[in-house]
Amino acid sequence: MGRAIVITSGKGGVGKTTTTANLGTSLARLGKNVVVIDADIGLRNLDVVMGLENRIVYHVVDVLQGKCTPQKALIKDRRIDNLFLLAASQTDDKEAVTPEQMRDLIEQLKAAFDYVVIDCPAGIEQGFRNAIAGADEAIVVATPEVASIRDADRVVGLLSAKGISARLIVNRVAPEMVRRGDMLSQDDVIEILSLELLGAVPLDGDIVVSTNKGSPATLDSRSPAAKAFDKIARRIDGGTAEDDERIGFFARIGRALGLSPA
Amino acid sequence: MWNEIKRLFVRRITSREEAKGRLHLVLAHDRSGLDGGKLQDLRTEIAQVLAKYVEIDVNSIEIEIERLNRTQTQLVVSSPLRAR
Repeated sequence: MGRAIVITSGKGGVGKTTTTANLGTSLARLGKNVVVIDADIGLRNLDVVMGLENRIVYHVVDVLQGKCTPQKALIKDRRIDNLFLLAASQTDDKEAVTPEQMRDLIEQLKAAFDYVVIDCPAGIEQGFRNAIAGADEAIVVATPEVASIRDADRVVGLLSAKGISARLIVNRVAPEMVRRGDMLSQDDVIEILSLELLGAVPLDGDIVVSTNKGSPATLDSRSPAAKAFDKIARRIDGGTAEDDERIGFFARIGRALGLSPA
Repeated sequence: MWNEIKRLFVRRITSREEAKGRLHLVLAHDRSGLDGGKLQDLRTEIAQVLAKYVEIDVNSIEIEIERLNRTQTQLVVSSPLRAR
């Protein structure tokens, strides 16, 4: 039985869709069977961020309304094994779906996949309730800004009322600004929200480029943000969370030769 | 250069610290579930109750919601007694 993880934030524009695309890709690259679901009915975006927009035939609302099977609506990412997308509908609205329907669908998908990653819409209304309905756990994405952190706190409260535990990703951290005292640090955000940190993702222009191209950074890039997402995926998957940047060149050689512990 | 030197001698409150302080306050209020109107009602009713037992100046009552630690917030009501 797989795990269903909802990526949520309250506030829009903080990187939920980017996080979903990159973590989904990273987890698939770890060899896991992954499906990413766009739960933002009416404002679908995960398909373009992943570069799969030309291949969508059926979407999640078709599945929930019984117009096609989930298998038929799943788009296989051809660049990588084990990664599938279930797109949102662009024409329906949030009320076309109920939390019960979403829960049933996600239960079905969990039987076939190791990870079901759900991209939640912004806000805390019906779309949010639908997106979290089938989730076993949540990842709250926040940027180091007051509006984002305030909304994240509200969302954590709503999740906990539904018995869903949340962990935190601090997105778009600019270390130089933090050092100058011009930006909240990841530790500040953890302290304010009292959440367990899954990881911090640095502000990185490569994310803009990879989104332009429709090719998630974790697919091929070694940029700072891609490395951060990879590290978070390993932590989610329960592997070691060690920072591979800190493993020196000689340690790598030693490891390769079997001289130092892996 | 001058800014660098100034930074060495003048202890300024950074916007980072300011954001942190503001967030602590805002989240304490958000978590209490008391918005402005409810807080006013609470203040009025507490004043009425206190006035039954002690002599107070109804207008001097103050209510604050403060962050106690990472997970707890507390409601602080302060009411000076009127001098006899």
